[in-house]
Amino acid sequence: MGKRLVFIVDKPLHGSVKAQEFLDAILMSAAFDQQVAVVIVDDGVFSMLKNQNPEELQMKNILLVFGSLPLYGVNDVYVEEEALSERGLSTDQLHAVSNVVPKNKINQTMLAAHHIFSF
Amino acid sequence: MKFAIQVNASPYQYQASDSAWHFAMSALSSGHEVHRIFFYNDGIYNAYRDARPPGDERNIVERWTQLNTAHNVDLVVCVSSAQRRGLLDASVAEKVGGYKHALADGFRIAGLGLWMEGVIESDRHIIFGA
Repeated sequence: MGKRLVFIVDKPLHGSVKAQEFLDAILMSAAFDQQVAVVIVDDGVFSMLKNQNPEELQMKNILLVFGSLPLYGVNDVYVEEEALSERGLSTDQLHAVSNVVPKNKINQTMLAAHHIFSF
Repeated sequence: MKFAIQVNASPYQYQASDSAWHFAMSALSSGHEVHRIFFYNDGIYNAYRDARPPGDERNIVERWTQLNTAHNVDLVVCVSSAQRRGLLDASVAEKVGGYKHALADGFRIAGLGLWMEGVIESDRHIIFGA
């Protein structure tokens, strides 16, 4: 069944190529049948906002790839509830994200991981 | 213990490459195994042959080459990170008309699959550079 890998998104996705290269690593982990979870915390919640137009920066819209993670078998995508409320954001402002969960659920996910990655 | 190491930051500008090298040397001298170092993101700048630091400074690129020669540590540079930043494998450079001698000795350019293999097979996977 592979290892439990947790990927932390704690900053916005566009404006740097690092997030794109991070997403490549997430997809590669899924391709290798590892147990992948993505947790979106802190300023990472901004990355899930609807109506982003990175095309104006001539950046790829990698949010679309995020939305398609379930197609790659990555179903555990968690958004931290507290991070949203601290920033005055609500669930209906988010793009294609299923699981808004409290911080302790995210902490449990990280505790159970074999490896944790961030960018 | 079996370690896999990942370097994400460019040399000289950040301490990450130094820390990774010191970590690898310490691990090896303590009898541990370092089977692969994967250079990702700006970490690929560690693999440019033509880096020429002033003579009184450490040569980070040469240090990696020596690590490969002396301890047979696999030095893998991510192909997409590298190509995005102008570092081409000789065979690719040949094909596209690029510079063929960019990659320093001891390094090889390959895909993220080797990164994944390192993660899966190691007891610990350590990342240097955010």
